Amino acid sequence: MVYSLPEEVLEHVFSFIVSDKDRNVVSLVCKSWYEMERWCRRRIFVGNCYAVSPSIMIRRFPEVRSVELKGKPHFADFNLVPEGWGGYACSWIEEMSKAYPWLEEIRLKRMVVTDESLELISTSFKNFRVLVLSSCEGFSTDGLSAIAANCRNLRVLDLQESEVMDLSGHWLSHFPETFTSIESLNMSCLGSEVSFSALERLVARSPNLKTLRLNRSVPLGKLSTLLHLAPQLVELGTGAYSSGIRSDVYSSLSKAFLGCKEIKGLSGFWDVDLSYLPAFYSVCSRLTTLNLSYATIKSPDITKVISQCPNLQRLWVLDHIEDSGLNALALSCKNLQELRVFPSDMYAADANVTLTEQGLVSVSQGCTKLQSVLYFCHQMSNSALITIAKNRPNLTCFRLCIIEPRTPDYLTHEPLDIGFGAIVKHCKNLNRLSLSGLLTDRVFEYIGVHAKKLDMLSIAFAGDSDLGLHYVLSGCKSLKKLEIRDCPFGDTALLANVAKLATMRSLWMSSCAVSIGACKILSQKMPMLNVEVIDENGTLDSKLDSCLVEKLYVYRTVAGPRSDMPGYIWTMDRDSSSRI
Amino acid sequence: MKSFIWLETTDGLIQQVEEEVAMFCPMICREVLQTSMGSSKNYAIKLPQRVNPVVLGLILDYCRFHQVAGRSNKERKTFDEKFVRLEANKLCDLISAADSLQLRPLVDLTSCAIARMISGKTAEEIRETFHITDDLTENVEAEEERVEDRSVDDLLLFINSGHEDSKGVKPAKNKKRNRRRKHHPKDPSPNIENKNHYKETDSLSSSHNSEVEDAPNQSINSMLLGYASPESDYDDELDPALKEQLDREVEDFAQRLNSVWSK
Repeated sequence: MVYSLPEEVLEHVFSFIVSDKDRNVVSLVCKSWYEMERWCRRRIFVGNCYAVSPSIMIRRFPEVRSVELKGKPHFADFNLVPEGWGGYACSWIEEMSKAYPWLEEIRLKRMVVTDESLELISTSFKNFRVLVLSSCEGFSTDGLSAIAANCRNLRVLDLQESEVMDLSGHWLSHFPETFTSIESLNMSCLGSEVSFSALERLVARSPNLKTLRLNRSVPLGKLSTLLHLAPQLVELGTGAYSSGIRSDVYSSLSKAFLGCKEIKGLSGFWDVDLSYLPAFYSVCSRLTTLNLSYATIKSPDITKVISQCPNLQRLWVLDHIEDSGLNALALSCKNLQELRVFPSDMYAADANVTLTEQGLVSVSQGCTKLQSVLYFCHQMSNSALITIAKNRPNLTCFRLCIIEPRTPDYLTHEPLDIGFGAIVKHCKNLNRLSLSGLLTDRVFEYIGVHAKKLDMLSIAFAGDSDLGLHYVLSGCKSLKKLEIRDCPFGDTALLANVAKLATMRSLWMSSCAVSIGACKILSQKMPMLNVEVIDENGTLDSKLDSCLVEKLYVYRTVAGPRSDMPGYIWTMDRDSSSRI
Repeated sequence: MKSFIWLETTDGLIQQVEEEVAMFCPMICREVLQTSMGSSKNYAIKLPQRVNPVVLGLILDYCRFHQVAGRSNKERKTFDEKFVRLEANKLCDLISAADSLQLRPLVDLTSCAIARMISGKTAEEIRETFHITDDLTENVEAEEERVEDRSVDDLLLFINSGHEDSKGVKPAKNKKRNRRRKHHPKDPSPNIENKNHYKETDSLSSSHNSEVEDAPNQSINSMLLGYASPESDYDDELDPALKEQLDREVEDFAQRLNSVWSK
């Protein structure tokens, strides 16, 4: 007996099923559900733009309204991915422009986007609403002009951390005077000045504007003007936060902030002039997000701010906060969920800042809701890590970056194996982990045994042998993304775990011990993987199987080998290993 | 004097229902207003086929509660939550009937309940709950298990290939699938040519499924055997001496691992 449902009813039920995971399961139930689900699917997330081709996606899901794509591997953020690697959005946008006339949202991360593509977006999708270009590059303010001029219903334009060729600040003026729909505008990455009068007029006529992130060039003196025009703002990114000695700027700024009763998030704060800090104190009690990662202010001043923010949930800050500031954070911000502490100076061996493992231990103790940590520091100990693990078993993301590679426990001079072992043992829901410090194969044994929910793992300068990699690949059931640099991991572990690679999104290995011969075998064994070898120096002899590869990027795909690679990247081919 | 509306279900059963309750259903309301039916036993309104007496009773309970004007939102919500605590088969009957009676709020309520029932389950569990036969793949268990083990975000492709390459039995190439076009208000082109979805197979999807085995579920030895097995015909251009050396290293490695691993 089958409990049948009429089609329109089934479609209606599916509209309540939103998570990608559930939707994929639904499409596996039976043929009619598969068919119905693919017609109803409105949102697609493609974690690796080379895993599938635009035409396959379009063929399967004809009625999509929102697409999110990611391009370059994460290690691109650390300059490990060479220029010209790929991640071109062009072909995606071209095909979608023909197939999805009703597309409303495009979100791209670490992809190369051209002005032509932006123009195509602006003219192809009549109801286009959301454009997010996160850590993208390849376009200029001309492309932005096209978006501004043509997207009549645009709600979100977010360029976070993209590299934009700044040809002119006048792109903002291309928003027509009739355009009033913008809700979120993030132009913080832009280098040069934007036309302030255009910005002012835009803000004045946009009653739904909730998020505004200015770039550094917007002077502090003009900020109060904007705030008066948009008292409904929820998220604000200031420009440069200094203005010489102007008392009128201070008082008008202070007054403007008083008028903004909805502000929950602040960012920006380049070039902070301390005397202007108190101007925004009136919004502190409501703040849930505070990004001070560009503010080179000292610990006492940071402390003064955060001790007024009892509702803070997310704090991004430089290591200037020091242990003392973190102690204050632990006392004042009991709702803290995410902490990121960035290094102010990566290269100073003996930094002036007193940020040690103690700061993190304090926060782990005082902030019981803490889930996500990114922490750059110079020293760490196993006992601190164990304490942190026991304090915060609810951690889901733990990224520790001890700046000097292979730094041991500074108290015992031992490797940090047991410390990280405690983290994975106690934090059962850990889904993201970055390792650093002196680590042997043992830490990987612990990870393989305990980190069953780990989705992403980053490893650098760690391990002794292939056993380390083997533990991870064979033990971490949920692992989807693995990125490794400068570790003695090689052929044996890789080839002993080929099947695992087909269950993962991607594997990056650079400066490890993988040979070209192993890459060939891997590619032959696993035709659904693209095994890409990067040889920037041109020293790789593909005929010499024992030759080690400089960088390796392996990912599953149904789109076959890609054809947009620069000359120094080869896809290991099933039949031959010639360059494509 | 109380007014009643006469309703007839497809099994011939005729019953009278309080007017205000029955009129809560748009379909009944329309019938009464447009055709003046329902005023007596002989002129009972014939209800759609999907409305059987049992589910009609449920629907009328819903209408009886909600048509009362004075109730608070909280009361209505509490009632609704209790109301949909039904088994899958009842929910399906209910939603079908509510849909044919055009009772939108009840359709929404039941849709949400069914969606909650679906969310978080595996495909097999969903099939069991709703008594659905799996007609997607020939080789049911093995195929699904492997496909479901895979992560999903960019994995739509594997689902695509997962059912297309069912163990050598390809769906008949000329089996046309009528592409069901849902009438979407924003649909610009009402005329769509028939596309044969299953005919278009990805060239790469044809053979890999059988080779993919989930590493953590396998013993090291069988994986290594898989790797080092003689059946692989791709080894031709590999230096045989190197290959042999690699094989031996891997075997050594496996033995070492097994002794380490047995704790």
